[in-house]
Amino acid sequence: MKKLWVIILYTLREAMARKVFIFFAAITFFVIIGLALIMSFIDTEMLTSNLLQNSGNQILSNAASMLQLAFVTPIAVLGLLLAIFAGANFIPIMLEKGNIDLLLSKPVSRTQLLLGKYFGVLLFVFINIFILVFGVWFIISIKFNQWNPGFLSVALVITFTFAVLYALIVLLNVTTKSSVLGMMVAYLIYLILSPVLGTYYERLRFGFENGIAKTVLDGLYYIIPQTSELMGPVLVAAAGGAALESYRPVIVSFLFIIFMLGFSIFLFNRKDF
Amino acid sequence: MSAIQTDSLSKTYVSSFGKKKVDALIDLSISIDEGTIFGLLGPNGAGKTTLIKLLLQIIFPTSGRAQILGSDVNNYKIKNRVGYLPENHKYPPYLSGGDVLKFFGKLSGIDGTTLDKRIDELLELVNLSKWKKTKVRAYSKGMMQRLGLAQALINDPDLIFLDEPTDGVDPIGRKEIRDILLELKSRSKTIFLNSHLLSEVEMITDRVGILNKGKLIREGTVEELTERKEEYKIIIDDQYDLSEKYSDSNINITHISNGEFNVKVDDIRTLNLLIDKIRSEGILIKEIKMQKSTLEDMFISLITGEENKGEEK
Repeated sequence: MKKLWVIILYTLREAMARKVFIFFAAITFFVIIGLALIMSFIDTEMLTSNLLQNSGNQILSNAASMLQLAFVTPIAVLGLLLAIFAGANFIPIMLEKGNIDLLLSKPVSRTQLLLGKYFGVLLFVFINIFILVFGVWFIISIKFNQWNPGFLSVALVITFTFAVLYALIVLLNVTTKSSVLGMMVAYLIYLILSPVLGTYYERLRFGFENGIAKTVLDGLYYIIPQTSELMGPVLVAAAGGAALESYRPVIVSFLFIIFMLGFSIFLFNRKDF
Repeated sequence: MSAIQTDSLSKTYVSSFGKKKVDALIDLSISIDEGTIFGLLGPNGAGKTTLIKLLLQIIFPTSGRAQILGSDVNNYKIKNRVGYLPENHKYPPYLSGGDVLKFFGKLSGIDGTTLDKRIDELLELVNLSKWKKTKVRAYSKGMMQRLGLAQALINDPDLIFLDEPTDGVDPIGRKEIRDILLELKSRSKTIFLNSHLLSEVEMITDRVGILNKGKLIREGTVEELTERKEEYKIIIDDQYDLSEKYSDSNINITHISNGEFNVKVDDIRTLNLLIDKIRSEGILIKEIKMQKSTLEDMFISLITGEENKGEEK
């Protein structure tokens, strides 16, 4: 456990040393500054005085919630795109000749090495996403003087969604040592496959007659990580503090992580370097 | 007791689609005693690094078994007692020399003040103390090798694998590394050394193995391997020419320089008879010694011989 923690911390250190961290931080900084500028144009006093005086506080609370909900999706999309870009090559670098030989010569199991990298990258992404979410939340909250700490759980949902895609990236990294392939597949799932399959399942499925196409699409829907659902209903529920209608996307995604990591560890433990 | 023991260890690399197979190591059985320095020689692609990687489970054998320090190589915990300097090692460029040692020390299960003390000792040993806080991206090749050696010793291992440890190191640095290895041997550490620098191997190893095309073709002490049987050097008073007078079908004498002769005989008895004859004529023998090749001569003739055999087949 101690060695796992050492690998996690040194992965975080590796991330801090990379330019991608500075890039991530710079984007976060500009988003927060941009939001602060937008907020400066909103006159909350006028907003409350022009509307029902007695329910001014309620109006401010609603306005803050609406703004947070309006910002949550762009933040999540941006954060996730950046996280995939930033995290995709940690394992390929570890697997380079000269690096992996040294690591495998130490009394650390291969499972610990892989999990250490995985959780190290997750910790790095969580910290970055949290700073971004915290910045947005703080500026909106301070502007409207409405504090809803539940909004911060959005950072957990985005990190969890990243964890799902990153588990797949890890598998591709272990099998091909390619960071580009991992990144491409993650983007393909996140931006195209998952939304298309989500739309099919929610809206079009009942229009399909039973047959091979329906079976294949149903199968794909359950196999491919349901990131669009995580970044849709689950994210909005977390941002608004509402209860989840269905835990299915969370459970399916969690099982996907377990399966991908388990298979990656299985392969990694048998691979020659 | 054996520090390393292999039993018919083989490794075949198979390309992605199984079309091409390369036998990197074939039926290797070897035993290396604890507290010795073993040098493994061989041309590029002979299988030297493959053997180390098999022993450290960086790659897995196709068949056969191996043990290090009395434990099966599958047991990764045995690596607590093992150090390794790979041939082309890379360290995170954003870490300083001291941080690199700290990272690998922690992975080896050392921590706290014990680790800090050990890092200072090792940096002192490899002459990198004043570079402790410098990022390794600024290190020269020689400094990287010395840091690599320190890294391999961070856990005070009983068995140390060194793959080309003096690669890129200047002559003074090489001498320092040799001295470190001899000092480690004096503390009963076992050292497994892969090197192309045969003169270096000759200077410090107890036993040498020669690997070619995945097969161990010779193993023994440097003395045994470099001995030229029934070939002697005789030094006498320079006014006589032995080559003309005593050469016959059993004795072949070649004049090397003033008073120095190379003598090839069938056996030791013939040599004694020759000495008797020389002495009976009142010639003063100043020195007789058995001729030896250098390890390099022996290595080249052995590898060339193997290649010729291969071509004949």
